Amino acid sequence: MDIKTKVKETLASLLKIKIEELKDGESLSSSIGVDSTEMVESVIALEKEFGVKLDVKEVTKNSTIEEIASSIQCKMTK
Amino acid sequence: MEKIAVTGIGVVSPSGIGKRQFWANIKSGRSFIKEISRFDALRYPSRIAGQIDDLEKYSHISERLLKKIDAFSHMALVASELALQDAGIDIKNEDPNLMGIFLGNAIGGWLYAETELRDLYLEGREGVSPYMASAWFPAAPQGQVSIYYGIKGFSKTVVADRAGSLMALGYARKVLCKNKLNMILGGGMEAPVSPYALLCCNTYGALSVNNQNPEAVYRPFDRQRSGFVIGEGAGIVVMEGVQRARQRGANILGYISGYGTSCDGVDRINPSSDGKELARAINTALEDAKVNPRDIDYISLDGLAVDIWDDSEINALKIVFGDALPGIPASCPKSMFGNLLGASGALDMIIAILSMEHGLVPPTLNLEDPVAGGIDYVSQQARERKINKCLVISRGRGGINAALVVEKA
Repeated sequence: MDIKTKVKETLASLLKIKIEELKDGESLSSSIGVDSTEMVESVIALEKEFGVKLDVKEVTKNSTIEEIASSIQCKMTK
Repeated sequence: MEKIAVTGIGVVSPSGIGKRQFWANIKSGRSFIKEISRFDALRYPSRIAGQIDDLEKYSHISERLLKKIDAFSHMALVASELALQDAGIDIKNEDPNLMGIFLGNAIGGWLYAETELRDLYLEGREGVSPYMASAWFPAAPQGQVSIYYGIKGFSKTVVADRAGSLMALGYARKVLCKNKLNMILGGGMEAPVSPYALLCCNTYGALSVNNQNPEAVYRPFDRQRSGFVIGEGAGIVVMEGVQRARQRGANILGYISGYGTSCDGVDRINPSSDGKELARAINTALEDAKVNPRDIDYISLDGLAVDIWDDSEINALKIVFGDALPGIPASCPKSMFGNLLGASGALDMIIAILSMEHGLVPPTLNLEDPVAGGIDYVSQQARERKINKCLVISRGRGGINAALVVEKA
């Protein structure tokens, strides 16, 4: 499974939403109206899922799924 | 002060969800107090309660939101929706700045808090849900209802132990009388059927520990009383000015016409035994409503089923009503579904309105041998009676007294 799909699955399961709601190319804010507390929870869940430490400035409510996946990819290859 | 119209009722209770189901069970005098099944309560002295098992069936709340809120907020959201539907209000057509929320609560959202605190000690900081901070506190339901409907007007949560929701209704009326708002969602919610909340209620020492026969345990004003039983739920009503209600063609269900409150100031838990301060709160409510004590047709009793609380309540009634008291039916319907603590007064007010609508005084269950004479207790079965004016009494620990006068539409 690629990182982008895994990010989508992690967020959908965590936030109790349908995976289709996380649209490609759209920010979390515009696609699912994520709030700041959901972002805190999402960053913690992604860190646990991928075993990396994410910077809250890198993964924000304005990030797209692709940007989040790219940040995780960079951390994993370092 | 003028009367305020009640135009919608939302009930979430062990006796039913929605006013029809609720009233059908109340008028039939059926008990909904059972052994607690939500968790293993075997080691608690009192392990019975009025529990709601089918809230999800009536819920319109998404899974996404549910994971962020405690059960007491969930109950408040369902009760609010039922109340708005009953009132025929489409929130999109209302001015959000002129809508308010006035709710009462006693203990907060412990079901959520308990599990997160356990995770804090087991898993550390990262094990705790980030929603914990916004889920547990008593004003959380006010916030959630406000967010859900986009309500932006003056709002308040009243924390005054078991008297909270009746006080919230009293304050809501005052605010509406000042024409500061068009409409208020008023009432209360409580979810004490959780391990830690049940422990605290047990520590308080006023719960009945007679677990053998749950339906017969809560017996206010009976010589065999042994304390009260907790219940969970929410009661929320739509309140609005009479003129506005008439203009929009609303079905007015009843009026709130008087409110009074006082403090005993004698003990951190118990009330004053003489009932004088409760009598003062009742008299204030009657004067506010411009109602003579003799014109009251039904008294909804607080009925904690604890000696000093029941006895002082009777003393207060004797002070206020004098020789008229034996002619006024009185009952404590919460004996059927448990004491909803901070939400108890709102449920009692809703029952009072439904009693007036149906011309039926609901019964006190298990009242077989009254401790005091001179009161027309309605026990075991509902009694037909035309009711135009009701007095609702609600009291909290430390001697908090609240009284509301409700009138027929």
